[in-house]
Amino acid sequence: MPIKVPWLKGVFPALVTPFVRKTEEVDEEAYRRLIRHALPHVDGLVTSGTTGEFPYLTRQEQRRLVEIGLEEADGKPVIAGCGASSTHEAIALARDAKEAGASAALIVTPYFLHPSDKGVYQHYYDIATTVDLPIILYNIPQVMDRYLPRTVVEDLADLSNVVALKDSSGNLTYTMELLEYAGDRIDFFVGHDEVVLPALAGGVSGMILASAQVYPEVWQQVYRMVGEGRVEEARALQRQVQKLSRIFCRYGGGVAVKAALKLMGVDAGVPRMPLKAVGGALIHETRAEIRLELEKLGKIPVEETDFEYPNGPLAGRFGDLEITPEIVAAHGLRVGSGVAGEALNKVQIDLVAGGKETPLGDAYALQLTYPLHGREALTTILEPALTVRPPTLLLPALPQKNLRQANMIYGPTQSAMARAIVDALEAGQIPPTAVEEDVMVALATVHPRALDRHALYHSVYAAASQALAQAFAATE
Amino acid sequence: MGYKTEWLKGIFPALVTPFTTGDDAASGVDEAAYRELIRYVLPHVDGMVPCGTTGEFSSMTLEERKRAVEICLDEVNGQVPVVAGTGCKSTRETVALTEWARDAGVSGALVVAPYFLKPAFNEVYDHFRAVDKVGLPFILYNIPQCAGTHFKWWTAEGMLLDFENTIGIKDSSGDLPFMEAMFEKVKGKVSIFVGHDEVVQAALAAGADGAILASANLIPDVWQRVYKATLEGDLETAQYWQQRMQKLVRIVVRCGSTQAVKEGLRMMSLPVGNSRHPVVPGGAFRREDREELRLQLELAGVDKIKKAAVTIDLGDKQVETQVFATPQTPRTIGGLALKVGEGFAGPPFTELAHVDLLLGLKDGPVGRAIDRSLAERGEERGLRVINEHPRTLLVPTVTLRTAKQRRLFENAAAGVNLAIRLSVEDGFLPEGILDDVVLIVNAFVHPAASIAKRVEFNNYKATRHAIRKALEGRPTVAELIDEKAAARHPFRYAP
Repeated sequence: MPIKVPWLKGVFPALVTPFVRKTEEVDEEAYRRLIRHALPHVDGLVTSGTTGEFPYLTRQEQRRLVEIGLEEADGKPVIAGCGASSTHEAIALARDAKEAGASAALIVTPYFLHPSDKGVYQHYYDIATTVDLPIILYNIPQVMDRYLPRTVVEDLADLSNVVALKDSSGNLTYTMELLEYAGDRIDFFVGHDEVVLPALAGGVSGMILASAQVYPEVWQQVYRMVGEGRVEEARALQRQVQKLSRIFCRYGGGVAVKAALKLMGVDAGVPRMPLKAVGGALIHETRAEIRLELEKLGKIPVEETDFEYPNGPLAGRFGDLEITPEIVAAHGLRVGSGVAGEALNKVQIDLVAGGKETPLGDAYALQLTYPLHGREALTTILEPALTVRPPTLLLPALPQKNLRQANMIYGPTQSAMARAIVDALEAGQIPPTAVEEDVMVALATVHPRALDRHALYHSVYAAASQALAQAFAATE
Repeated sequence: MGYKTEWLKGIFPALVTPFTTGDDAASGVDEAAYRELIRYVLPHVDGMVPCGTTGEFSSMTLEERKRAVEICLDEVNGQVPVVAGTGCKSTRETVALTEWARDAGVSGALVVAPYFLKPAFNEVYDHFRAVDKVGLPFILYNIPQCAGTHFKWWTAEGMLLDFENTIGIKDSSGDLPFMEAMFEKVKGKVSIFVGHDEVVQAALAAGADGAILASANLIPDVWQRVYKATLEGDLETAQYWQQRMQKLVRIVVRCGSTQAVKEGLRMMSLPVGNSRHPVVPGGAFRREDREELRLQLELAGVDKIKKAAVTIDLGDKQVETQVFATPQTPRTIGGLALKVGEGFAGPPFTELAHVDLLLGLKDGPVGRAIDRSLAERGEERGLRVINEHPRTLLVPTVTLRTAKQRRLFENAAAGVNLAIRLSVEDGFLPEGILDDVVLIVNAFVHPAASIAKRVEFNNYKATRHAIRKALEGRPTVAELIDEKAAARHPFRYAP
């Protein structure tokens, strides 16, 4: 496969465009810092792509980004995003890019008015024959709501300055079909972070990625390993960044990239309205997940934690609920404890059960009005609107310092606790009278750095089952 | 050339099929329940459709389908036409079942597009051509939501006009441009039926001859009002009832129709069991949908769930009240020291509401908790009594940090108070207990919520559901055990 443009290969970040909070002006200094952060590991830059929020940029701003890119790129090629819904505008952008000194123009399928295949061809034909700059076609159906038609690409590849196609669809059947029909004439770039390795193995020459400004060195290694036929090692690396790549592709795009960069200490500003820095397409829960993954990759330090699993006499572990050993004895409260799992997945459940009209009933009601700060109690549910019986509160034993820790309690811990209770009901371990007359409170000690939800679910289930068995043993 | 029959018009229920027990494929049709359902709808309908999509034909054996049609024919006894669902995946099976139905004496067959393997349009055409040769009048059935293929107007036109025995088309797509194309091509030549409950009135007004509907199991009389008003040119009345039923039918159409209809009937004291697996309770028909469907069935003018006397036992006194009762409503409600109810309502995700509700005696644990928390930490934690009758403490699940969050929590408070007011009106919180019981409502508002009206309305729903669930003791242990395996906690998994 002849490479028409020798530099058109390797790893290119689709740079985000930093905006200043409130004013939403382009933050040129932040852009320069971002480029300096990524440059050592990349083969070139891409300005004002989809990740760069190009639809929200003016023509002047896009030109300025290319100029800054060239100033900072240290001789590496700069590809200018020149996408527009109208042909007229795309030509103007490509002219600007040419004048500024860009190496190529990346031009997205014309969007919004759904032009016909003929219209799409004409769009690219007009640009290619008007502006003397290498053109990279760009397929991204997730935002354009259509594919760049294969037969159109097949013909566009005949134009002398159409040099490549960037395929961000992630649909490898499309990539392979295009390689079959145009691979002899143009180069291919993968633009979907989740399928970099298979696309490289399938024959693309490089990548233009949102995540290539977050972990470009990982992609540089994957690229090199595939070239050297070291597929096993490349697979391991791809898998290491799979979840983050998925988040960037599906749950927030450039906004998620900006959040990741900020967590890493590279302030790439905020997005422009209507996008929100967090709480829109990128929800808080996902941002917590990004932090967790960056910790795993070693991109940000892990906070050291110092804590102990409760180990005093069982009846004395419920002091936070004002349930003392004396109250346990006086009101015949049932207590049980269980421990399960290894290392980060080790969980301890300390359970107290008893009548609604004992001090435990007061403790139960009080917890829902007067929570211990950072230790908000949750009703135990199999899933929303499927509350277990007897009513059970789940109380984190350790203060929840961040959403990522809370996420481990809300989902896996809560549902595993619920399942253990319902299984105990079915087994007859919990007596039918308790269903109406009792309440329970479970203290859950989960490692502050736990992050494997699946393993955690099983640890909590096992620990809770032990605790229930112990608490209700006396009644059998 | 297809033709138009005199009898194919009006309101036809797509009957659900009651099964004798659970998921046992050999269990068969619950004949007694099926007959009772047919007797309930019969006075209000112009025809009957056994074994349609709502009848779960795709989860029944051939023998069961035949049995259901036989029972229906027997119970209807010629009072209205019976149109049997005879569609199958393959042509061979479809022809065989349609031949059987012809010999059994049905008036016609409703034949769904061959599904799953997505045959091409000419293959669909030839499938129906083979059905045509059976000699039984039949209705083409377009339901792309399930079958996976949407008839093209030219395919439908060809099948309706080229064949001998086509008497109509049922369009369940809800695609009104498609229906309009059908009116343009074949109106007056065959009957055109609407099968999408959300657009019945619009389709009838535009010229449809009738409707075959899942929700006609529940509210056949209401649909009859819509149909008759349209025939009489009284669009205002027809529109009124369609709009009044819109939420009910949206739940039925979009939220697991077979299970929705079955649970609706059960709440109306017409027990017809559950859908067969893989449809499960609390699946596509979510628990919050069940609560909302119940409220719709209680509406004045619909009157499908009746009021009954319930005694609330406060220990030192008993208060009698009238509530809209389902078979799950206890006739005596005790244990008022502490009752727990949970409510959940959404979407959208950031505006969803989740309410943990405690209802209990003023001098019990709930009352003491309110007094103590207000005295010790009220200001600091953003706790507020939002109602004195009954005394209600509203607690934010998530600490309110910004002005926007505080503003939206006011909407949540308004929703909670609306739920309380309507629960007082509908009898679940009768006047006689309002000085004795108190409420703690722990309400979750997502930090990224934006749409104020949705926050309010979702909190209204979640609180109204939670009040009923607390008093009625739901979910029951039996429900928990039955549903535990399939339960899927949304936050249990990584993104």
